[in-house]
Amino acid sequence: MSGSRLHQIGWLAVLAICGSLFLALSFRVHAVKSEVLLAERQIIALERETLMLETEFEARANQRQLAEWNEVDFGYQAPRADQFFESELQLASLSAPLGPAAPSPIRVARADNATDGAAPSASRTMVSPVSGRPVTMASAAMPGATATVAEAFGELLAEASPVRSAQARTLLSAEAAE
Amino acid sequence: MNTLTASAAISTGRVELVAFRRESLALARWRVLWIALVFAAVAAAALLRIAYLGLADHGTTRTSLEEALLPPRGEITDRNGVPLARAFPAYALWYNPKALGESGSPLVKSPQEVAARLAAIFPELDEIDVAERLASGKAGYLRRRVLPEDANKVQAIGELALEMPRENDRHYPQGMLAAHILGYVTPDGEGKIGMEQVLNERLSDPVTRSTPKPLSIDIRVQGALEDELRRGMLAVNAMGAAGIVLDVDTGEVLALASLPEFDPNAVQSEDLILSDEAHKRGETPRAFNRVTNQVYELGSTFKPLTIAAAIDAGVVRDFGKEWNAMPVQVGRFTIKDLHPLGASLNVPQALIHSSNTVTARVADELGPERLRRTMMDLGMNERPYIELPARGFPLWPGKDWARLTNMTVSYGHGIAVTPLHLASAYAAIVNGGIWRPTTVHKLAAHEVPRGRRVFKASTSSRMRQLLRMITLYGTGRKADAPGFRVGGKTGSAEKPGAGGYKRSSLVSTFAAAFPMDRPRYVVVAMLDEPRGTIASSFQRTAGYTAAPIVGKLVPRIGPLLGVRPDTSRDVDLTDLQALVPEKD
Repeated sequence: MSGSRLHQIGWLAVLAICGSLFLALSFRVHAVKSEVLLAERQIIALERETLMLETEFEARANQRQLAEWNEVDFGYQAPRADQFFESELQLASLSAPLGPAAPSPIRVARADNATDGAAPSASRTMVSPVSGRPVTMASAAMPGATATVAEAFGELLAEASPVRSAQARTLLSAEAAE
Repeated sequence: MNTLTASAAISTGRVELVAFRRESLALARWRVLWIALVFAAVAAAALLRIAYLGLADHGTTRTSLEEALLPPRGEITDRNGVPLARAFPAYALWYNPKALGESGSPLVKSPQEVAARLAAIFPELDEIDVAERLASGKAGYLRRRVLPEDANKVQAIGELALEMPRENDRHYPQGMLAAHILGYVTPDGEGKIGMEQVLNERLSDPVTRSTPKPLSIDIRVQGALEDELRRGMLAVNAMGAAGIVLDVDTGEVLALASLPEFDPNAVQSEDLILSDEAHKRGETPRAFNRVTNQVYELGSTFKPLTIAAAIDAGVVRDFGKEWNAMPVQVGRFTIKDLHPLGASLNVPQALIHSSNTVTARVADELGPERLRRTMMDLGMNERPYIELPARGFPLWPGKDWARLTNMTVSYGHGIAVTPLHLASAYAAIVNGGIWRPTTVHKLAAHEVPRGRRVFKASTSSRMRQLLRMITLYGTGRKADAPGFRVGGKTGSAEKPGAGGYKRSSLVSTFAAAFPMDRPRYVVVAMLDEPRGTIASSFQRTAGYTAAPIVGKLVPRIGPLLGVRPDTSRDVDLTDLQALVPEKD
């Protein structure tokens, strides 16, 4: 008798707990719902504001106003035919003239004839194509750069690192002859 | 006995007292119970209410996000998505005298003071009138449109009676630009005049209005066209101007302008209906579209159409052949050239110098039926093909053309069409001979109409050479923008008036296409009644008035439309150059 009564009380307790849990969950759901509603209202308000600002911007920057500014304030004119380029070659023709000691911009591949006996100039330094002065590259100044980068960021990033790519160079004639 | 009665009396009194106590106790219990029940009921009601508020989602069902963001009227954009017309939640300034209650003064400050503060914010407001309206205590709009920053200033006045209701309004951010294409919307939401009227259904339908509707026009090109047309119109003191830029391969209108224009943001009644005096002066309302609605005799711009028809029919085969250029006598009429150009001219020379006599003789040899057929193929006998509601019906010479009619039509007289007709005819001449209807809808590649063939492709390539020669050596030299290979024809026609043509009023037109080695766009510029001014060297003809407009417009729009200027390219003119000694 007392056991079944205990059972009954137990069931009732379970029911009460479930009921209260359900109620709490429902409250939570509806709280989230109203948060969503609030967010939607904010979205609407922001969208309206965006529309307003965009329209104001469009109205202030209308074509007629821009044309007036271009003409009166800046004195812009439509580009002439000679301001357009046909190709990269035409663009390159506009570059600055070379300095007095600069090497010729056209390089020709050269294979040293080993039978000449002349020692291949292994220690040829890189020179600036404009001034002709020797240039020290960042990678040359930091011999262990790749290793440092690999240590810090891993092999994958070291591969993509600009420090490493700066070390790339054309084969020296000694290496090319091998 | 006494004691007995007394004790009995006491005992009965005690019994009564006990009974009374019991009764009052019971009553008190009941009262407590009732109060507890009431409290319980209130608590239960409160709990139920809390549960109801927590569980019922009546708040979320009011409007969905899509509904709230759906514009009350759809947006119209140009071909690149730049908004041209949009529904705009604007503020209005409403005077509500009941805001401070039924009785007493509706305003805190005096009406004069408030009117002065308002006039400081809106300088165009009539201060005395506003003060009277504020004092009268009648509700009403003080202003229909107020900018947000001005709305803040009005709030700062601190008058509760000045309300700023948000109203949905149609706004055209580009102002007067493309006004004739767009049209306007009446206060009750009805689209008028332009695409607002045509697309009224689509723009108000909740299903379709959420996506913007792109038009074929490019607002940058439209801006440049209106700018140059306006400058050209003012330079020669013309009554009006019209211009159009047309894609020759698809028939899409990239820009279409009719000046003077109206402001769709603030349509006045005189924009739509003219006063009698203005009507007598020959003016047209500002909302009237000169490009699609007004028909003009477009004069010499028709000569290339005649020559193209003659080349197509095999009448003109030898371009070196000399044609008689002396005045033509037909009945009692004499067709003459404006400036006599000698006894004979070949066809390229006739076009370069715009000779009426040679064109009339070519048309005479071609015959009225074949010229009429070509004109009909070019759609000159029906309203122009465009979506805009305002489309003018051409003055068409009818069925059987007399010899004189044939000759006058050949140089653009006795037939009146809209500038749009001319533009689509020129597109057909230069694009390889295909006529296509014009449209202001943006077309995808598969939507381009097939069109109908009017000229052979060989005729078209010949006409490109001839049109290019006119701008290189002839009347259209002022339109030759360096590097853009412009080709076109001038046309200056006298306007018909009472009792014949009015010598004083001209319609000057320049119809052009560029780049001529592979034509992509047709440009037509037309001036209504230009006057000779210093700017045009005291000339009224198209070569001095309309051609310079095209010459300045093309360098502005060419790079925008993907036409790169290049002085090293041009149409091959070597076979015709030798025929025109004037080129030096």
